[in-house]
Amino acid sequence: METDQPIIETRDLTRDYKEIKAVVSLNVSIPSGELFGLVGPDGAGKTTTLRLLAGLLDISDGSATIAGFDLATQAEEIKSRIGYMAQQFSLYAELTVVENLLFFADLYDVDTAVLGERMNRLLAFAGLTDFKKRRADKLSGGMQKKLALACSLIHEPEILLLDEPTTGVDPISRREFWNILTELHLRGTTIVVSTPYMDEADRCSRVGLMFEGKMIMCDEPRQIKKAVEGDLIIIRPDDWQKAYKLVNTLRGIHEVQTYGGSLHMIVDDAQKRLPEIQKAFKKMNMSYKDARQAPTRMEEVFISLIKRMEE
Amino acid sequence: MLKRIWSLTVKEFIHLRNDWWLPVFMLFGGVLELLLVAWATSRPISNLPLMILDQDQSAASREIVTALEKTGTFSLYAYVQSFDEIQDALDRGKVNAVIIIPSGFNEAIATTGGQPTLAVILNGAESIPATEALRAIEGVTREIGEKIFIKKLGLKSQDLASFNPSLRVWFNESLSEAYYTTPAELALMLEFTVLLFAALAFSRERELGTLEQLLVMPFTSLEIIIGKSIPVIIIGFFDFILMLTMIHFAFGVPVRGSIVLLLVLAFGYLLVELGKGLVISVISRTQHQAFLLVLLIGMVDFMFTGYAAPVESMPKVLQTIANIIPAHHWLVIVRGIMLKGSGLDILWPNVLALAILGLIIGSASLIYIRRALD
Amino acid sequence: MSFRHLWAVTKKEINHILRDSYTLFLVLFTPTLLLLFMAYALTVDLKNIPIAVVDYDRSQISRAFVHQITAGQDLDLFAHVESMDEIEHLLMKGEIKAAVIISPKFSQDLFSLQGVPLQVIIDGTEPASGGFAVDHIGLRAEEFINDMLKEQFERRGVSLASLQPIDLRIRTWYNPSLKPRNDLIPGLISMVLGMPALSVALTMAHEREHGTMEQLMSTPIRRTELLLGKIFPYLLVGLTNVILIPALAMVWFKVPFNGSFPLFFFLSAIFLFAILSMGMIIGVFMRTQAAALALSFLLIFFPGFFLTGIFFPIASMPEIMRMESLVLPGTHYAVITRGIFLTGIGIETLWPYAIMLFGLGIVFTGIAVLFFRKKLG
Repeated sequence: METDQPIIETRDLTRDYKEIKAVVSLNVSIPSGELFGLVGPDGAGKTTTLRLLAGLLDISDGSATIAGFDLATQAEEIKSRIGYMAQQFSLYAELTVVENLLFFADLYDVDTAVLGERMNRLLAFAGLTDFKKRRADKLSGGMQKKLALACSLIHEPEILLLDEPTTGVDPISRREFWNILTELHLRGTTIVVSTPYMDEADRCSRVGLMFEGKMIMCDEPRQIKKAVEGDLIIIRPDDWQKAYKLVNTLRGIHEVQTYGGSLHMIVDDAQKRLPEIQKAFKKMNMSYKDARQAPTRMEEVFISLIKRMEE
Repeated sequence: MLKRIWSLTVKEFIHLRNDWWLPVFMLFGGVLELLLVAWATSRPISNLPLMILDQDQSAASREIVTALEKTGTFSLYAYVQSFDEIQDALDRGKVNAVIIIPSGFNEAIATTGGQPTLAVILNGAESIPATEALRAIEGVTREIGEKIFIKKLGLKSQDLASFNPSLRVWFNESLSEAYYTTPAELALMLEFTVLLFAALAFSRERELGTLEQLLVMPFTSLEIIIGKSIPVIIIGFFDFILMLTMIHFAFGVPVRGSIVLLLVLAFGYLLVELGKGLVISVISRTQHQAFLLVLLIGMVDFMFTGYAAPVESMPKVLQTIANIIPAHHWLVIVRGIMLKGSGLDILWPNVLALAILGLIIGSASLIYIRRALD
Repeated sequence: MSFRHLWAVTKKEINHILRDSYTLFLVLFTPTLLLLFMAYALTVDLKNIPIAVVDYDRSQISRAFVHQITAGQDLDLFAHVESMDEIEHLLMKGEIKAAVIISPKFSQDLFSLQGVPLQVIIDGTEPASGGFAVDHIGLRAEEFINDMLKEQFERRGVSLASLQPIDLRIRTWYNPSLKPRNDLIPGLISMVLGMPALSVALTMAHEREHGTMEQLMSTPIRRTELLLGKIFPYLLVGLTNVILIPALAMVWFKVPFNGSFPLFFFLSAIFLFAILSMGMIIGVFMRTQAAALALSFLLIFFPGFFLTGIFFPIASMPEIMRMESLVLPGTHYAVITRGIFLTGIGIETLWPYAIMLFGLGIVFTGIAVLFFRKKLG
């Protein structure tokens, strides 16, 4: 296989489910070794996309080539070359960590000569060595995810498809998990990972933003952030509802997003607008805890783009 | 409280709608099954393969064979020439009975002092048809024997006691087998339906982990129990009415007594089985377990419904136990009302027993379940 | 087909069963327990059936007649009543199963031209006891006349060798006493040994319900490997029971075993193959365990009981049902079981049934594999 051929390529990949169009004409091309992030709101089609690529769903229209094989007709060949991690815990509750690993090792025909050593390495990698003999349902949420990851790696696949692998996991485990992913990425594994966390999206080589089944943007994080023009000002008012109303009347404000009690405003020029905003607040006798310019994050860009789509 | 129960019930029905296979199977599948099984087993035993070795080949032997065929019990399988063929057929279980008519049969019948004999071999490997076959054969030989007897003795019929046991069958005018077996089959199907549904109630949630969610919601355990019970009761009752209607129109099984009484008592019985089912669902951690328990308990109950043998014929110990089995009383009630037209005046002991059992099972299960849920 | 894959699935399944001891116990012993219950419930020998008598004649002869009828164990004289009303009442209450009504001119008309009608009223609502009563009353009545006639003729100096001109020489093969127990129990055994099929139906739905199916389907495992791997543990359970249950039947119920055990074992394995794959078809189609168990109850358990010729002869069923019973593995296996237990026949006679079972197994497995798709939704 030539190295300049993308390892995953979809052409107008479509999946309909009854009247719902889960994935619509998806065109994406992922080169080998890329760490590709899939983001989007619930129901955008991320899980469906991953399941399609894993050969778990029938294709309604379009086609895809993975590792050189056609998805529609050669799904079984593809399966031995990918590792898949489902969103819900999909392993065997009453089997131990080791038993789960061995089970999948058998199904992927892992060479028994290297299996023992590889398993130990994976367990160490995932921090599960001390829990070898524990039943899977007695593991914490984070450990369960790591076990699932280990099971998807037991055959050292070229491609990993991970569906929200860190959702519901404590922050420490989340960080550990991403360290593992980064290492795999550095070793050359192609990873497609869906995530609701924007800081994770930031760590990807490229990010694909999905909305209502369509891929509305697909680029490096840096470039995506440029998609929204302007600067970001964050303010934490005491009464955010009143503040929201006020801010929307001011000039130069492109967009206001609410985050809990904070307002994230996208303005044309932060230098100019920040003092204006502060003055406006004082004039209305509204207090705030803090107001500053901040670098635009994926989060803001994301929400902005979605908002535009909805209009 | 009622509002909460209502919302729980609605939730249950929504679940059911998502998994609509379950009620559809049990309801319509159950009814269909009942019809098929009743249809298959309600005919009198007939068409039993019969083998003949006719060594006489006379008018008399033909008369015997014709008479046997006329009973409807038999279907002529084959005329054979050798004993080997008989051996083979019996070994293979191909025939239920073999008649060997020895040579000289005709003569023996015609002459005075002749001793006509017939050899009969029954396939004891299937005892129920064999018994029936024997009955039919004896009937035929008796009839023919009488005719011969009369002929032999000339016309001294006044010396004869022609003794005709006249059989007037009291409750089943047509002696239709359907009347015998369908009430029991109906009861079995109903019991299993209710038990299955009830047994799934909690075990399913427990297995899939949603029970915890249910328990943290602001429902009291009593409300949860009632909320889960209502769909089962509705389905069970509807099932009963459906099956009853079906067997009435398809097989003509009557309801000679009061339908209202029958329905009321059916409802009561449903509640009792519901209680049992709910207990099963609470002690089972998985649906698999619940299912196997339902099978076991269902079959134990079935034992006491008198399907193949009346309870009176069982050893005394079992007869006493029968009194605490709700299904036993229920069958007496069903048969009583449907086939005998009995009313409360006759059935009150069974109704009372059912009520007492219901109360005991009901309160015991309520206490147990509440405790388990809390 | 990869043996490694098959074995991995089987191992996992076995672990799954073993780790749930409650279910394990039920799966292993339900067949045995069921056999015990059913054997007792369904093979009760009838006796002591209560009847009542109304004797309007009250002669010596009628009293003798009543005595004749109720002598012995079969029929019990529950009451000697005075009126039809009482009879009706007793029948309604279920205290008697039959009633004999002796007309006032009984002894007189005994020897008249038209004879004497004997009215027997039976409670038709109970299948077995009613028929039983009819038979026995009929038989006793028969004996009674015969005795009377013999007496009459001897008094007149005419001897008749036999009052029943046709002498029936009856032999019953394989089950001389015609005790229902001896042939019903092998039938029940054949039904009960098929119970693991119900568990097989559940196992696929279990994976779907618990979400493990998704992960499983993303691996290169082949359908046949998955299906057969899941059947195999239940085959082992079934075979264990093939050894245990006949042993129980022979020791406890004294059922004869006239054939070869190795043959029985071998044929049972084929039967298990057929019925387990039947369960697998249900498993392939159902998404939830509840639906799977409802369907397996309807298609395997209930028909296995009523339609396989164990109680009710298939010959007497309507044509369509007869054909349906052919598709049930239990039907053929019942013949095999009865054959080996009671008849003592061997493979020379049983091979058609073995072939039939094997064929059914192949067809069912084929259907299951064909309709099982490694796709979600």
